[in-house]
Amino acid sequence: MGGVKRSIIKMATFTGSMAPVLVLWLAMSLSGTWAVDKGNFKTCDQSAFCKRQRALKPGDSPYRALLETMELTNTRLTLQLINDNNKVRLLLELYRLQGNMTRVKINELKPLKPRFEVPDVLITEPSTEPLSLLSQDENGVVLSLGTESQRVIISARPFRLDIMEGPEVLMSLNSRGLLAFEHLRMRKDTFSYKVTSTVASVWDNIKRLFSSQAEPEGEKKEEADPANQAEKEEEEKVDGMWEETFKSHSDSKPNGPSAISLDFSLPGVEHVYGIPEHADTLRLKTTDNGDPYRLYNLDVFQYELYNPMALYGAVPVMLAHKAQRTTGIFWLNAAETWVDISSNTAGKTVFGKMLDYVQGSSETPQTDVRWISESGIIDVFIMLGPTPKDVFSQYASLTGTQSFPPLAAVGYHQCRWNYNDQEDVASVDAGFDEHDIPYDYIWLDIEHTDGKRYFTWDSHKFASPKEMLQALEDKKRKMVAIVDPHIKVDSNYKIHNEIRNKGFYIKNKDGGDYEGWCWPGSAGYPDFTRPDMRAWWASMFAYDQYEGTAENLYTWNDMNEPSVFNGPEVTMHKDAVHGAWEHRDVHNLYGLYVQMATAEGQIQRSGGVERPFVLTRAFFAGSQRYGAVWTGDNAAEWDHLKVSIPMCLSLGLVGISFCGADVGGFFKSPSTELLVRWYQTGAYQPFFRAHAHLDTPRREPWLFGPENTALIRDVVRQRYTLLPYWYQQFYHAYRTGEPIMRPLWVEYPQDPATFALDDEFLIGKDLLVHPVTEEGARGVTAYLPGKDQVWFDVHTFQKHNGAQSLYIPVTMSSIPVFQRGGSIIPRKMRVRRSSSCMTHDPYTLYVALNLQRTAEGELYIDDGHTFNYEKKEFIHRRLSFAKNMLSSVNLATDAEFSTGSWIERIVILGASKPSKVTLKTADGQESQLEFDFDASMSVLTLRKPGVNAGLDWNVMLQ
Amino acid sequence: FIILPPDMHFHMIIVAVFWFGFVDSRKIRGISSSYKRFFRERKSFLCIDGSKIIPFEQVNDDYCDCEDGSDEPGTSACPQGRFYCTNLGFRPHYIPSSRVNDGICDCCDASDEYNSHAHCQNACWNLGQRERAYVEGQMRTLDEGLQLKQQLIEEGVLLWREKQAQLRELQQVAEDLQTKLEERRSRKQEADRLKEQTPRPPEAGDGQNSTVTGTFKLLDSNKDGSITVDEVQAKVALVHDEERVLSEDEAVALLGGDHQMDLTTFQHTLWDILTNGGRVKVSALSNTFLFVFLSDLREKLAIDYGPDWEFLFLNSQCYKLKVYEYTYTLCPFNQVTQQSTAGTEVSLGRWGMWEGPPKNQYGRMVYENGEPCWQGGSRSTTVTLTCGTETALRSVKEPSKCQYIMDFQTPVACQPVLKQRGIHSEL
Repeated sequence: MGGVKRSIIKMATFTGSMAPVLVLWLAMSLSGTWAVDKGNFKTCDQSAFCKRQRALKPGDSPYRALLETMELTNTRLTLQLINDNNKVRLLLELYRLQGNMTRVKINELKPLKPRFEVPDVLITEPSTEPLSLLSQDENGVVLSLGTESQRVIISARPFRLDIMEGPEVLMSLNSRGLLAFEHLRMRKDTFSYKVTSTVASVWDNIKRLFSSQAEPEGEKKEEADPANQAEKEEEEKVDGMWEETFKSHSDSKPNGPSAISLDFSLPGVEHVYGIPEHADTLRLKTTDNGDPYRLYNLDVFQYELYNPMALYGAVPVMLAHKAQRTTGIFWLNAAETWVDISSNTAGKTVFGKMLDYVQGSSETPQTDVRWISESGIIDVFIMLGPTPKDVFSQYASLTGTQSFPPLAAVGYHQCRWNYNDQEDVASVDAGFDEHDIPYDYIWLDIEHTDGKRYFTWDSHKFASPKEMLQALEDKKRKMVAIVDPHIKVDSNYKIHNEIRNKGFYIKNKDGGDYEGWCWPGSAGYPDFTRPDMRAWWASMFAYDQYEGTAENLYTWNDMNEPSVFNGPEVTMHKDAVHGAWEHRDVHNLYGLYVQMATAEGQIQRSGGVERPFVLTRAFFAGSQRYGAVWTGDNAAEWDHLKVSIPMCLSLGLVGISFCGADVGGFFKSPSTELLVRWYQTGAYQPFFRAHAHLDTPRREPWLFGPENTALIRDVVRQRYTLLPYWYQQFYHAYRTGEPIMRPLWVEYPQDPATFALDDEFLIGKDLLVHPVTEEGARGVTAYLPGKDQVWFDVHTFQKHNGAQSLYIPVTMSSIPVFQRGGSIIPRKMRVRRSSSCMTHDPYTLYVALNLQRTAEGELYIDDGHTFNYEKKEFIHRRLSFAKNMLSSVNLATDAEFSTGSWIERIVILGASKPSKVTLKTADGQESQLEFDFDASMSVLTLRKPGVNAGLDWNVMLQ
Repeated sequence: FIILPPDMHFHMIIVAVFWFGFVDSRKIRGISSSYKRFFRERKSFLCIDGSKIIPFEQVNDDYCDCEDGSDEPGTSACPQGRFYCTNLGFRPHYIPSSRVNDGICDCCDASDEYNSHAHCQNACWNLGQRERAYVEGQMRTLDEGLQLKQQLIEEGVLLWREKQAQLRELQQVAEDLQTKLEERRSRKQEADRLKEQTPRPPEAGDGQNSTVTGTFKLLDSNKDGSITVDEVQAKVALVHDEERVLSEDEAVALLGGDHQMDLTTFQHTLWDILTNGGRVKVSALSNTFLFVFLSDLREKLAIDYGPDWEFLFLNSQCYKLKVYEYTYTLCPFNQVTQQSTAGTEVSLGRWGMWEGPPKNQYGRMVYENGEPCWQGGSRSTTVTLTCGTETALRSVKEPSKCQYIMDFQTPVACQPVLKQRGIHSEL
């Protein structure tokens, strides 16, 4: 859903009685075209702290490490840093964390008041490992980081931090001298400042009188004082330190400047990824000639592609990759953040690089990154890999893994703003049956409520929601209804009254309840940063509180950036107040908390038994623990289809695997070709939901003629046959933090040809997908990675060699998907109305042999919807093929679950013809299997092994 | 009749099978009697598409051997397969194989869920009852509807003739006016040339009785049988040197101090003034109105009102329906509007065309070019006509923004062909 203008359309159409003045205002705001109005959002230059910080150029850092203040305990090192310009001292904390990570925290030694440290994102206080001192002199300190010949070198003057492994520098901090820390200060023109500064100088004089020996620090301080004073005066002249205005909005900044900044150098690195959410390429671009990438959760109306503007969510995690190593930087800060990237090889042509190489004059490629945040502290986790999967597990150990969704949520979702009433829902539901297309969830957008009062139903259009839900339940289908965090200010609305009476609303700078304009008109915003507020919110999902709901109703949290139509940049004023903190400090966390509380509500309503499913638009580091995200209000354009791939890949790299884009595009109306291609792409992305704007014509799959209905049916069915594989990938993501939809370089980290690929991707490690995203395409060129690797077209079973770019002719029915030789993928071929209808169905195993004629895969089965998997109620088996024998062995011997599913068929790709096939079951019984061999494609199909999928068995080819 | 438990029912089928002379000792699940011939051979089975021969044990063994799915009519094994619901007592039909044993009752005889956790009841008899009652009701409606339709057709033919007559009459008036106008023009030219100041000749009509009614009708824009101040103002002009529009008072004066006038009064008062007074006349401006009206009438008569003009009677009618806070008005062959409780009226489209499928050309009408929408385009309405004994608007929906669909019931939509449909069961 979208920004301000969306409301306009809605209101103008549905409330003809609206005062003319209002309609006029609405009409004026509508005059825009189909592109983001960039003027509504700040550039770095318009964001005072970004401008200030970016004005600092690389050079010698004014910071010096005071080595004599160093304290080293078993778990941490602390050290003071001093800014030689203003004498403000900082406290550096350095930790060695388990799993090859280093944490660096920098705060003011004595801040005027506490600075915000992000809570609730780390799943636990990270475990530390001992640090040991290797050597120390007046220039610096060398510490050992455990066993792996890794060291940290702290240089004193200027302060700088280098992380080494052997002779190699992995990462340097403040090597470009861009560490900046705007200390909290009193405002000079206020009375209290004058008093304090007078007292301070008196105290300084007294101290000086009584100190027997002039300490060097003091001397320097005196020397520095005049300069310091001058600098301070200079500071005051810089605009935007104590007040800032943007358009008609002013930010009162009662705490003054508080920005922080730090640079990181990555020797040898030419590829960096992550820091979603941006509508940009997978590989991040250098930002020297434009704005930095911005992280600030915003409701951007009709966002523009391929630029660094902020979008709905923010995950301040960057991955840096080179052939030998992958590392990561997790900048734990929830305030507005900007990330600059520069590279010494950017702009060099391949020829230029070759010339460097030939002439031997090449400097090592290096990427430099700089993070700037508006408030809080520097708290950075340096994940040292060395492999991509190590980085995923390191990050997962900090912020957790993807929540394991109910199986149904991995199916297809049918959404539209809006399905108008119960009859509409019933007829769309019936349409799916009539056209034999499976789906699991039908969605209701904001119009289902009573006047945008969430937790309610429109009494005419949805007069009997329980009956509606029961009708869906009868087909084993489910529903999602939207619950947004803005609450209509209406004294007849229970939710509003309770929040107001409990004092749970976010406050404005003057202490009253903050009010903004959103879908319902004037709205309050609950303070989700409060645990008691979240607990109350969760309790509202109980069946006796949220009337008309049932077990098969789930939730969608939209507009949780938060979106405030009349706020600065369509969001909340930064000087709004969350208890002790300003909105400025917590902004990017808000959306995470909304989803957290909602998911908790869903868990609680079932007594902790059922898994929740909650979709969110805004997110932060850690949001993966609470459900799914989508890429917000995209448009029905080919470029939006294309960018859905890098957008979800980037999210996957930073832990958020359950990602998808609105199939068909939210704004505008897709051509039939685009819609079909989007279904084909979406079917192979983790979150598969079609959605459409209120103003667009209907686009249920059967509205475009029988041919296109068939194309869409076919690809949705492909999704459903692959649900066992998808579900196993989700389980794997939940266990390991590895992305489900992943860039090729994650699996082929040493193949530079994969590093920038973002028009194709892997699902897990065994399926490679190159969707058709070009209008009128006759073919696509897919890169199949891996020397000595083979790939099988999943539709034709044709075998292709790896490490080649392959041209694949395509028709409208083509979606190029390849199974890796060496893998085994379980499918369920009996596609039914919904995933739940397929629970007891048998499996077909697709065994794709590699050149060594081996293959491996897994099979994961559980009840599909409860938390009982945590109690070890599941089946997890390893399937392996070697020496002409396929066997199923238990991977989780301590787990127990029984299934009615059995092995229906085994398809072996790249096989030769056996003379005899023998099945041996756990009880030792042997039987011959019938088989069919297709010599032209080398495909061997074993007929009906019939053995239960949870048991041990093997099949011998002779 | 009592509802049989499923097992009893099964016996009944077997009895039925014997009754129809198929002597099968083993029933093949999921096929209709017409397919039984494919399964007669008990040693092997030839896939119906002829692609493969399989041992008979592999028929309905829950593994798909035939490409066309024909070996598994009774299981969910084949992706292309279909399962035959016998549905004794109701209507037999096929369901996709994927609905066999999926835990959802699809066949009313519960035969599709023979191996699932679903507790399906045989509901065929009840459904059949209901269906029969429904169909009977439909039949009654249809009969009644067709009778009404016949009347409406007859009325339609009369109406059509009447309208045609009206058209001819108006055309006559128009021609007369045209002649008069030209006469006047030539006389005026002559007069101008002679620069003589002579009294103006009578303008409209020369006492020809035949055009009294015509002129009256011309003035009576809304065809309510009386002319009003507005109507007089619209079409009668005051002539000095230039024509000018009458003021309200002047119009009232012409109507004899009243606000309206019927034909009889007209004939004896205003008609005289118009023909003899010379100071006022049916304005040349009114030529425009006349021609607009004429072309309007011609346009209306050019509309396709069905083979027997049976839809003609809808032409001047409007039908209303209130849905939540809106009142919708359908004026067939004219326009569709939506009025909110606050009173704002929005056009949802003007008459466009018939747009029914080839088999039922008059089953759907489209109204287009209504009020523009926010994101481009304009509102439009598709009206589906269904058979009923009354003519009324039954439902209005807006499935997509600015695209309305209406269900409009009327006897003239009743089709005799419907009568041939109904329940027919194979058993």
